[in-house]
Amino acid sequence: MGRITLDQVTKSFGAVEVIPPLNLTIDEGEFVVFVGPSGCGKSTLLRLIAGLEDVSSGEIRIDREVATHLPPAKRGLAMVFQSYALYPHMSVRKNIAFPLKMAGMDKAEQDKRVDYAAGVLNLTDYLDRRPGQLSGGQRQRVAIGRAIVREPAAFLFDEPLSNLDAALRVGMRLEISELHERLKTTMIYVTHDQVEAMTMADKIVVLHAGVIEQVGSPLELYHTPRNKFVAGFIGSPKMNILEGPVAAQHNASAIGVRPEHLASSAESGTWEGRVGVSEHLGSDTFFHVHDTGLAETITVRASGEMPLRHGDRIFLTPDPDKIHRFDAEGLRMP
Amino acid sequence: MATQHSRTAARLMISPSVLLLLCWMIVPLAMTVYFSTLRYNLLMPGSNPFVGWENYQYFLTDPAFLTALVNTLLLVGGVLIITVIGGILLGMLLDQPMWGQGIVRILVIAPFFVMPTVSALVWKNMFMNPVNGLFAYLAEFLGLQPFDFLSQAPLLSIIGIVSWQWLPFATLILLTAMQSLDQEQLEAAEMDGAGAFSRFIYIVLPHLSRAVTVVILIQTIFLLSVFAEILVTTNGGPGNASTNLTYLVYAESLLRFDVGTGSAGGVVAIVLANIVAIFLMRMIGKNLDA
Ligand SMILES: Nc1ncnc2c1ncn2[C@@H]1O[C@H](COP(=O)(O)OP(=O)(O)OP(=O)(O)O)[C@@H](O)[C@H]1O
Ligand SMILES: [Mg+2]
Repeated sequence: MGRITLDQVTKSFGAVEVIPPLNLTIDEGEFVVFVGPSGCGKSTLLRLIAGLEDVSSGEIRIDREVATHLPPAKRGLAMVFQSYALYPHMSVRKNIAFPLKMAGMDKAEQDKRVDYAAGVLNLTDYLDRRPGQLSGGQRQRVAIGRAIVREPAAFLFDEPLSNLDAALRVGMRLEISELHERLKTTMIYVTHDQVEAMTMADKIVVLHAGVIEQVGSPLELYHTPRNKFVAGFIGSPKMNILEGPVAAQHNASAIGVRPEHLASSAESGTWEGRVGVSEHLGSDTFFHVHDTGLAETITVRASGEMPLRHGDRIFLTPDPDKIHRFDAEGLRMP
Repeated sequence: MATQHSRTAARLMISPSVLLLLCWMIVPLAMTVYFSTLRYNLLMPGSNPFVGWENYQYFLTDPAFLTALVNTLLLVGGVLIITVIGGILLGMLLDQPMWGQGIVRILVIAPFFVMPTVSALVWKNMFMNPVNGLFAYLAEFLGLQPFDFLSQAPLLSIIGIVSWQWLPFATLILLTAMQSLDQEQLEAAEMDGAGAFSRFIYIVLPHLSRAVTVVILIQTIFLLSVFAEILVTTNGGPGNASTNLTYLVYAESLLRFDVGTGSAGGVVAIVLANIVAIFLMRMIGKNLDA
């Protein structure tokens, strides 16, 4: 249960091809995160899997059964929408029970499952309220509750946390990870927040303009990005990409150094520059360094105690083992 | 308006318009009530003596009154049922993406802009006329006996004409309500295993409840006073078959020149309209709460 395979799947809206032929396998029980910049086709891909959009060509298999033309209800998947999509005129209990009611389940069994889901999600006290009387986080949990009562083959989440404030987001992130540990059901999770992707995923799928740039575990993507796009997208702050003579020294067309792999000093180092904006996070400080002659800005992570100010001189030394090299096509060189 | 001061100021500011509206309403109402207690017939000029409840007694015991009352309720109820159901169906149709949507929408709304007298005449002469009407041609074409709508089913015909006028209004309001339905809700319901019919029953209809309430309340106000359509088609007849309260009041005061009884009828109509209003608010008013 819960293995999803996409085989040469494409999607066009009219003349615009949003997803060129795409292959992907999602294994049973995996937590897969789709990340990519806005408009890269993450939601579209998820909706293709859900059956809310028809594929233009190709095949989708769920548990080895061809599901390409099955209606959404028959695919055994549950989806949590960004806007929650709760039914406003129904109580929380009725919302959660709705898929069971549609499946024609008897009332006692419905109640049992709703109570179980409410217990798991801490919703027991709110069962008789309407969605309009709940906070954002509670609504999100109701939406998840509605998904779990069906015991689906897989969960699909489309940016479920993007409407929540930062603190709540961290909390819900943990809750969803916890839920995955508990249910061991396949989950596909769409986000453009790479922190969410890194912290939650077993496997990350990086999308760019409908094309899969790389698939791998979070650390794999961090340590060995397959190309410049993935290198720039995974990691925060972004990797510094340097071109020109400095890259040529490494026999590459471009090199990438992460801010955390640059040593900074006020006295000496390989590259010299001038401090621009500094962002103090307490534990760390991120300096935006200008006038290095290498790139417009280089971001560097320094310890929180580094006493440099705007306009000060700064010296940077890259960790030679952590330099990523890219060829003219932007692909990683070994 | 949060502070005591701004509330007081607001009351002061709106008082002139409230007073004006009050006069606007009170003066004609008081005159009507006053006339309803007089023996006041235009054919018998002279003194208009005070007669107390006589006019009311006369109006309420008139056999035409009960017929008119029933006709009024049938007319309002019938048109409401037709326009609400038809409006939901048409709204759903217009909500589908289709070719020439803009034009079709304008066409659907058009009847609302036709004056009641004109549309009633068009229906009477072009459609329902048993000799020249389109329906008569159609019946003859099918080898049937032409049906004389206005004399054989006068009330039904008027219900049809009035529904035709009000259907655009209902459609328009219900269409906008449908367009404000979050598509993700429908998609969620689809994923939850709800078929098209269940989605309509459990998601679309509850979403429309407020709009339907608005349609019912507004239309009731106007439908209680349908007049022009009756005047130009059946003149309330045959007999009293298509006389509603409004038409009865008109007949009393301007056909029989009995202002007193007409006024009494007007007051009775006001009371009845309020009863209908209270009844409606009890029944569906809660849909308007947020
Ligand atoms: N119904 C549609 N008709 C035409 N184009 C569409 C339609 N839906 C999506 N697109 C296009 O497909 C592309 C991918 O859209 P999609 O919603 O999948 O992006 P996304 O990766 O989810 O972005 P975001 O992170 O902003 O949600 C976009 O360029 C969008 O304009
Ligand atoms: Mg999206």
